[in-house]
Amino acid sequence: MTSDRNVELLTELPPIGPAIAKAAVSSRGRGGAKAGLPDRTVMVSDVSFDINDLADYAHLIGLTLTNDVPGTYLHVQTFALQVHLMAARDFPFAMAGMVHVANQMTVLRPVGVAEKVTLSSSATNMAPHRSGLTVDLVGEARVGDELVWRGTSTYLVKGASMPHEGAAETGSPEAEAASGADVALQQWAQWRTTTDLGRRYATVAGDVNPIHMSGLAAKAFGFPTAIAHGMWTHAKVMAALQGRIPATHTVSVNFRKPILLGSTVAFHAGMTDDRVALSVTNRSGDRVHLTGEVVPLAGSIS
Amino acid sequence: MTSPASASESAPHSDARNLPRTAVIVGGNRIPFGKAGGKYASASNQDMLTAAIDGLVARFGLAGRSVGAVAAGAVLKHSRDFSLTRESVLGSALSPSTPAYDLQLACGTGLEAAVQIAGKIALGQIDNGIAGGVDSASDAPIAVSEGLRKALLKANHAKTTPAKLRALASIRPVDLAPQSPRNTEPRTGLSMGEHQAITTKKWDISREAQDELAAASHHNLAAAWDNGFFDDLVTPFLGLARDQGLRPDTSVEKLAKLSPVFGKGEGATMTAGNSTPLSDGASVVFLAEQEWAQANNYPALAKVVDSEMAAVDYVSGDEGLLMAPAYAVPRMLARQGLTLADFDYYEIHEAFAGTVLSTLAAWESEDFARDRLGLDAPVGSIDRSKLNVNGSSLAVGHPFAATGGRIVASLAKQLHAAGPGTRGLISVCAAGGQGVVAILEAV
Repeated sequence: MTSDRNVELLTELPPIGPAIAKAAVSSRGRGGAKAGLPDRTVMVSDVSFDINDLADYAHLIGLTLTNDVPGTYLHVQTFALQVHLMAARDFPFAMAGMVHVANQMTVLRPVGVAEKVTLSSSATNMAPHRSGLTVDLVGEARVGDELVWRGTSTYLVKGASMPHEGAAETGSPEAEAASGADVALQQWAQWRTTTDLGRRYATVAGDVNPIHMSGLAAKAFGFPTAIAHGMWTHAKVMAALQGRIPATHTVSVNFRKPILLGSTVAFHAGMTDDRVALSVTNRSGDRVHLTGEVVPLAGSIS
Repeated sequence: MTSPASASESAPHSDARNLPRTAVIVGGNRIPFGKAGGKYASASNQDMLTAAIDGLVARFGLAGRSVGAVAAGAVLKHSRDFSLTRESVLGSALSPSTPAYDLQLACGTGLEAAVQIAGKIALGQIDNGIAGGVDSASDAPIAVSEGLRKALLKANHAKTTPAKLRALASIRPVDLAPQSPRNTEPRTGLSMGEHQAITTKKWDISREAQDELAAASHHNLAAAWDNGFFDDLVTPFLGLARDQGLRPDTSVEKLAKLSPVFGKGEGATMTAGNSTPLSDGASVVFLAEQEWAQANNYPALAKVVDSEMAAVDYVSGDEGLLMAPAYAVPRMLARQGLTLADFDYYEIHEAFAGTVLSTLAAWESEDFARDRLGLDAPVGSIDRSKLNVNGSSLAVGHPFAATGGRIVASLAKQLHAAGPGTRGLISVCAAGGQGVVAILEAV
């Protein structure tokens, strides 16, 4: 944590549902890019893991429950802080208009299920994007003072414009993390999504965003059916790679077209010594849902 | 009674069957055993078996490498776990090109897995392998009733909608009750405890003797933990670092206060204290061909000398459900030219204290020797100070298929510490009136 930021210390992870509701009713009249991002880090310390909850999450995804907390589960924990930050009045954009377009996380060392962590989240790095602008929500997990996990969730704010005209459009995050294109991908698996997957994932991950929960709500946001949580797809990819990648790694994914619940998707991967390239597409491969790569921090892909 | 291979009296030792190669135990790993509904309440068999394998992989530097075969199993098994061991291997740090298969021999699963892997090694089919087992009494499968199952299958097979509806309409409310797995013998309807109660009474095993065995099991296990015996045999899992059922401060006096739970009336002696608790856990053993182990700088703790299975007719009441090892051991001893006294350590699985004591009583009995085994003299008695010296199932817990791997790894380590040539006997009873026994000898 940089010392020049204010810290909002919470006593426990805030519930996500009420925060989403609060954000929805207070979506109008937000300041926009000019207002700037809140100069706050939301933090909660001494967070312990409920093994039963973790098991429910792991088993829904298809992860083997181990002594290490899955990296994607640390995202699930810090997501509550993200939502808390984005729902607050001083956040300049309406949460309902923000689309999770990319995610990157680094496991610096595995977190044990019996360990207590300090979790934090802050908003940073407003950057221009061809469809608006992007904002990064950066989460961190520490054990004592040791940084053990860091996650960056990139959100697209559609139609928003940067406060300073003429700011150079930095390469969109989508382009950055798609660098695994030279690795040949093979289809590893196909996954059938059920129409209740969004609701089931919400019970283990807390993200009750209506576009995942019901077809009717999703239609209101322009989707033909409810769509899969991007972080479900991400976690499912990590489950497919469990046992094959070193415990310490950086994984970057870009969320492309949403997965309509009820559809069957294909997971593709290509392994080289120094990374695994990934994609999730529809069965014919012409509709891309997710691309990404895993890079070990040390050692090589086995 | 004796198998053809044992007819020869000329070969007194481990080369009795002239096996081309020697299989040795390199080491083992298990997770601490949990109480049902305890620390592993949410863990699946696959989670636990993977944890046991990954701990072994870490201990012996096997990450990304393959072994000749992984054999393991579970007794309480979900239908989705039809390929439990292979699925666990695929999720583990072992190479995905590691072959694996499931086997099931009730409580003998883990020991039989080790015997099979040792056999493959001895025959030159593989150079190394992993044997193990796992069970969860917490995450046990719940099945639908036969009525519901048949109706659903019929509806699934039906070609037309009316036919599907007719099939579904045949479901009755009573069919909707879930079916929990029961610890009863399918052919007798008696629980294992009720079966053992019959045997315990037949052999006139006293309550005091059972409680003494149970107390010793807890005290031996506590001492083994305190001495660091399990430091290289166990990897903590989900916050559990020691066996959850261990009661270091139990005593014969405390155990005497418990009420009997199996058997009826005044003669009932079997309590929750001298019966194994329902448990969760997993164990694995790493075995290798002796020269391969040496060439690859792996320790060789003990060799697998021999094994024998037996089964008894418990259905007609001819013999007790858990008495098969009492038959298997004398046959194996005869084949090896050994007597019951020729062992430095004995590992007799404590399904119930009464099981261990009934087995020992049978071996001391002239009648049993003559009428059941066709022998002139009793099999013999053992020095009780050599029995289950690091605790056994009464204290550790008994996740059915995980018990064999626990015993094999612990005994191999104990024998290795005692020095080359020391011998250990393993005896494990199993549901269905079966038993598996084996001999290990320190290298």
